[in-house]
Amino acid sequence: MNDFDWIALAEFSALGLLAGGLQAMIALGFVLIYKGTGVINFAMGEFMMLGAYFFYTANVMWGMPMVVALLLSLAAVAACAALIERTILRPLSGQPVISVLMATIGLASALAGGVDVVWGGGKNYEMPTLLSRTPLHIGEVMIPGQILWSFVLAALIILAFTLYFRYSKTGISMRAAASDPVTAYVLGIDVRATQRLTWMFAGVVGAVAGIIVASITSLSPAIGGTALGVLAVIILGGLDSIAGAIVAGLIVGLLESLTAGYLGGKVRDIVPYVTVLLILLIRPYGLFGTRQIERL
Amino acid sequence: MNNNNHPVNPLRRRVINAGLGAAAFAGFPFRASVAQTGDIVIGAAMPITGVFAFAGVGLNQGLGDYCDWRNARGGVAGRRLRYVAEDSGYKMDQEMAIFKKLMGEHQPPAFFGGSTAWAKVAAKEVGQLGTTLTSGVSFASELADAKSHPYHFMVAPTYVAMGEILLEHISRNARGATKPAVAIVYSDTEFGRDPIPGIKAMAQALQIPVVLEVVTKPGAVDVSSEVAKLRRAKPDFVIFHGYVSAPIPEFIKQMREAGMKATPMGTIWSMDKTTVDTMGAAAEGWVGVMPYRYSYDTKDAPMMQAMKEHVAKVRPDMNYISIFNVHTWLAGMAIAEIVERCLKAGKPLNGANMKVALESIDNWDTGGVTGLPVSLKNHQIASGRIYAYDDKTKLLQPASDWIKTS
Amino acid sequence: MRIGDFRESYAHDESIWPTPVQRGWLCVLATALLLFPFGVNGYFVSLACMLGIHVIAATGLNIMTGYTGLISIGHAAFMGVGCYTAAYFAQRGMPFFLTLPLAGGMAALLGLLVGLPSLRIKGLYLAVATLATQFILVYVFREWDSVTGGVRGVNVPSASLFGFELMNDQRMYFLIVPVAALLLVAARNLFRTRVGRAFIAIRDKDISAEVLGINLLRYKLAAFAVGSFYAGVAGALLGYFYRAMTPEYFTLTLSIFYLAVIIVGGLGSLLGTILGAVFMTLVPELLRAGMSVATRWSPGVTEILNSVQQVVFGLLIIGFLVFEPHGLLEVWRRVRRFFHLWPFRA
Repeated sequence: MNDFDWIALAEFSALGLLAGGLQAMIALGFVLIYKGTGVINFAMGEFMMLGAYFFYTANVMWGMPMVVALLLSLAAVAACAALIERTILRPLSGQPVISVLMATIGLASALAGGVDVVWGGGKNYEMPTLLSRTPLHIGEVMIPGQILWSFVLAALIILAFTLYFRYSKTGISMRAAASDPVTAYVLGIDVRATQRLTWMFAGVVGAVAGIIVASITSLSPAIGGTALGVLAVIILGGLDSIAGAIVAGLIVGLLESLTAGYLGGKVRDIVPYVTVLLILLIRPYGLFGTRQIERL
Repeated sequence: MNNNNHPVNPLRRRVINAGLGAAAFAGFPFRASVAQTGDIVIGAAMPITGVFAFAGVGLNQGLGDYCDWRNARGGVAGRRLRYVAEDSGYKMDQEMAIFKKLMGEHQPPAFFGGSTAWAKVAAKEVGQLGTTLTSGVSFASELADAKSHPYHFMVAPTYVAMGEILLEHISRNARGATKPAVAIVYSDTEFGRDPIPGIKAMAQALQIPVVLEVVTKPGAVDVSSEVAKLRRAKPDFVIFHGYVSAPIPEFIKQMREAGMKATPMGTIWSMDKTTVDTMGAAAEGWVGVMPYRYSYDTKDAPMMQAMKEHVAKVRPDMNYISIFNVHTWLAGMAIAEIVERCLKAGKPLNGANMKVALESIDNWDTGGVTGLPVSLKNHQIASGRIYAYDDKTKLLQPASDWIKTS
Repeated sequence: MRIGDFRESYAHDESIWPTPVQRGWLCVLATALLLFPFGVNGYFVSLACMLGIHVIAATGLNIMTGYTGLISIGHAAFMGVGCYTAAYFAQRGMPFFLTLPLAGGMAALLGLLVGLPSLRIKGLYLAVATLATQFILVYVFREWDSVTGGVRGVNVPSASLFGFELMNDQRMYFLIVPVAALLLVAARNLFRTRVGRAFIAIRDKDISAEVLGINLLRYKLAAFAVGSFYAGVAGALLGYFYRAMTPEYFTLTLSIFYLAVIIVGGLGSLLGTILGAVFMTLVPELLRAGMSVATRWSPGVTEILNSVQQVVFGLLIIGFLVFEPHGLLEVWRRVRRFFHLWPFRA
């Protein structure tokens, strides 16, 4: 074949952009917590895992209808996130960066182990198919149904959050507390409550992402590992920018898909990390991140 | 003798002390020895939790079950089998730690371990101690090499041998002059990558074109790009290797949605009934190679029947015995056979004698666990059968005779 | 109660073990370490070897993170670099007293490379950069077949000294423990010099340090290099200890383990490193012993040992961070203060 396979390129690109939607949603969870409390939450993957396991318990083990199970699992993860914020993050609020970082890492370990203890790894848990599988055929390009619908879902959730932050009272107070907690306090905003709410939202976002990922692959504590690749997304986009998370999510998804398509699946795994290193060297604060000014 | 004109040279004294010290610990007894009376201990580092947990629970049960079953029938030459196992999480340092601990405490004549990494590292220790034979869940081809791993054996064919069986099957069933095209999807782990060069070489020898090689992470989430590539390569058969379950079901489902009619094929660890169950409707057409019988196939297989009866007593709610249980049950059988031969020949239980006993096992009837009589001369079981998924019975049924590999 | 501890010269004040009591205890420790392998089960000797390796690696990490404030989540990868370097040269016949420094040097070189961006990026960003380095290096270990053996791994010939082979744990003990002691003394000495003081200044406030005339780039790179050197040596010893190695060993979990060791032990303290390493190595053993006792009441509980270990590990980290941020060192200091001031209260 003499001409370049444009259709293949189009297909890989489409798949990548759509898969990037899910990554953008997970990145949203990271960005929410960073914006609200200044912490990179290494336990984000574990929120995903918890959401998936709670949903499985409610839906499959207790036999509840899907919507009820979904709401229950989201509520449970939100409660866990609030508890974590109160018991772990609050006492560490003045501490140096490494302490909080290690606390979230320790949390991730404890949660992953805890899930293994409670649910056990011996069985092959099967999640029900949540998203429609019918593929979309555009000419010769095939887009699997789950990828398409996960993108749509992610887009809706991100849109909902963006509108919430921009227009609702709680959303605006959360943004205020995030940008300048002292002034927010003075103006009567309950900064502690907004921080708790931030964590709860991030937990919910993570839980939804986890349920989707689990229904696509399988339910196991390893779901949490997916979130580490999303670090590339938030660094590219800027740790505190939601718009950055969206754009970067799409870009990284695209890059991964093209790499998998043209260079093979092995290289795909380190594409996010090489991207991280390059961005940190060239533009540490990312595409849309705010430059941090350090004062003595 | 000291006098003030010639004081003892302090350097000389230090050198003498150092020499004495070195001599002391050079002579330190390093050789442990296996108890020649009393219980025969079988040690194990099983991946009961961790990434292989899905299999590890079954592996652990199988070996313990066999020891109980054998003890109820008088043990081995009058001595009981004692199974001591610990959870390794499939991590090499844990496996080594458990290995050293159990070797120190019990000096077991047989040890069942986990990953290939462990087998490599343990081979050094085992070679030095000279007291133990090892086996494990990894069927990498280098582990069956008696020169580099003289005290290790496996109760299955190597991964390369399994790939060869698959290719043989493809080649025999090819109709017409053109050979069918094959694609290989494997995981980027030692488990996945080990047999690939051998499989490709065999494919070349059989003139079967390998149109695509796809490598993924073991638990890959998004395989859509890989399926897009597969679609374009148009293979007739897709061999999956290096996975226990995920992402095979997702691959197959997407392949069917893309309209691909290729036959998916798997190797031993992805041939368990529970894996196939998760595929749901996509399991139709699933073919693979397995060296054992399934637990529901007890016709003319007295040992399979015995296994079923024993498990029914011990775990009544378990009506399907996974291939992992079968694997370690067979490993237990092999260990018992080796020990028995050694003891009957009046030889003390140590590595060298057990190795001789191991390699003397030829034409050994396993009571139906494997189809053909087993020879462990090459430290592996070189036979297997093709199974295909039968939609009506929802089980994997034999689709070929038992094939011997080289 | 301690009285009469007078320092009469600058040299005496700066010395590492100023009092005769300390020197006495040091001799006792040295004798105990020397006699240890002869009195115990072989398993404990192998545990001691692993402990030694952990101490060396954690000291390197503490120099980078605890003393200089450069967070590194990629320490395990540098150990891997050291291990594979030592394996490569040992296979070609180089004796261990050359491969160990070479392994350390190779890791240090890589540490310099990774440290180069550290002027531009700090704190969390540097941590993420080291995380990325961890994954990339492991990828290299897995793919660079000709040097590292790829996923199949590599065989390391046992360390040998003029034909005397160190082929089991007892003998490796007598290599690992002296090397660890040497490196610990070197680290302690480092912080008596201006280089060490520059590290501490950088940790406390690097902009101020720069104002005071400390060349940030040079000293940050030095910190990375020294820390990675230690990791490289630890990795090389690991290779000699196991006599084979695969890339699966150098995971993110291992990097996190070392971070946990220095946090639990005490950031910015060598005694803390030792305490942390001992603690974190013993906890899984105690847990295992506890669970085998518990099997009497609830059989099958050892099956979840690994998961429980993970939970305990995570809770320990969180617990220490929340309740005892200065780690075991602070606990030790409290105990010492009690005995120094007894019968008066602290």
